[in-house]
Amino acid sequence: MVRIEYLQVNYGRRANALSIDRLEIDKGERVAVIGPSGSGKSTLLRSIKGYIRPVHGKLEVMGIDLISASAAVRRRVNRRVGFVFQQFHLAPRLTVLQNVLCGRLGITNRWRSLFGLFSEKDCRLAWEAICEVGLREQLHQRADTLSGGEKQRVAVARAVAQEPSMILADEPVSSLDPAWAEDVLELITEIQTHHQTTLIMSLHQPHLARRFASRVIGLQSGRVVFDEPASSVTDAHLEELYRGNEIIRLNPSPASAGAA
Amino acid sequence: MVVWAWRGSGIDIAALAKSGPQISSFLDRMLPPDLTWNQTEARPFDPPLRLAGTAVAITLQISLMGTVLGTVFALLLGFAASENLTPHWVHHSVKIGLAVIRSVPVIVLALLFVGALGLGAFPGVLAIAIHSIGMLGKLFAEECECVDPGIWEAMDSAGANWPQKVRYAIWPQVAPQIYSLTLFRFDMNIRDSAVLGLVGVAGLGLWIENYRRAFDYASVATMVGVTMLVVLAIEQTSIQIRRYLK
Repeated sequence: MVRIEYLQVNYGRRANALSIDRLEIDKGERVAVIGPSGSGKSTLLRSIKGYIRPVHGKLEVMGIDLISASAAVRRRVNRRVGFVFQQFHLAPRLTVLQNVLCGRLGITNRWRSLFGLFSEKDCRLAWEAICEVGLREQLHQRADTLSGGEKQRVAVARAVAQEPSMILADEPVSSLDPAWAEDVLELITEIQTHHQTTLIMSLHQPHLARRFASRVIGLQSGRVVFDEPASSVTDAHLEELYRGNEIIRLNPSPASAGAA
Repeated sequence: MVVWAWRGSGIDIAALAKSGPQISSFLDRMLPPDLTWNQTEARPFDPPLRLAGTAVAITLQISLMGTVLGTVFALLLGFAASENLTPHWVHHSVKIGLAVIRSVPVIVLALLFVGALGLGAFPGVLAIAIHSIGMLGKLFAEECECVDPGIWEAMDSAGANWPQKVRYAIWPQVAPQIYSLTLFRFDMNIRDSAVLGLVGVAGLGLWIENYRRAFDYASVATMVGVTMLVVLAIEQTSIQIRRYLK
């Protein structure tokens, strides 16, 4: 699904925000990317999504090299990749249904969509996605009146309505309180299983990464520090990863859970 | 700067103080306003109250059409003039174009169109529409530049094209302000279209000018009064609507 070789990405004024020799993610994998702030988690996801163009190297998504591909081909790949943002990015003043239908914009008839007209298939997929995230009751509620957790559910439904082969989630739970965070992660992983998509998410909390992902990649200063199955990630791994940052334990005691 | 302005503008308080009699005689001729309905003596025009209805209607029609036409084009140009929505050369040149349009006073536009198309309502509509494009286009673009760019990115992620992104990422964020700005512009256009009567555009202003030329100051006063009432009424309505839109 994703193949990276000697990839180098600059982001903003930061050279080498990402520098990865080799990374392969297979179809259907459930990957968590963790690391301290500024370690390149978002840069990795944004490069895969095509928001950032790498300087050099090879970045293959769904068998297509994004660096050499034409804009039209990149758009086609892009359309099959759902993205969930930390800040939800829902359109205000539009309802839950309208927001989820926005996931269909790249596929539906472009001109009709400008007048709010969507095909039966679009509506069916949107409805199914909304049911799946459990917001059937709020179908016609305005998105800006929802709580944070509900907003992220709408954003997930929007990505699902896109019929993605891969879902990227960039710190999907960082602006949610712990209870909602687990709830949303459960939802995302359920959806990943149900739709058999590939899932790559960046997370700030190692214990959540180990619990919800099957593979954990540790990034530090744009480099891969470890890449292990979730079950074999140890405290030593994390201490190395967060060295110089606050120490985050794998199984936080209740006292430190809030800080994590 | 202020001194410079003071000297140039010929402010003469003594003259103002001595002008009391002139002002009072002017007001004397205007007051009381002519509120007669029936034609009592030979006059060049009908009594003002008889004409007021059609005059108000034409003024409203001109400003409404001008505002509608202006808003449609201002929307298109406003999106094109937003730094966050178009490449540099597009928004830069559209911005310059809008500034040029804005720099022409509405009365000069009206003079131009009256010269080209003759007296009537249509030149007024064109003048108001073009002036509105210049003003609203800039304001709309400023609104669009203040939106949250994340939503644009999210629509991009779904594969939306430019018009779709404008429709679903920008429009929901700016719609309330755009309604409000448009109503405000409509308000101002009513005042503008009344003034355009001076250069021959139909409506309230034209009748004020006609009566003035006939030295019928009592009728001028009536028409001015009617204009003030209309402007106040529209202003109040638009405040109410804008409050509702928020």
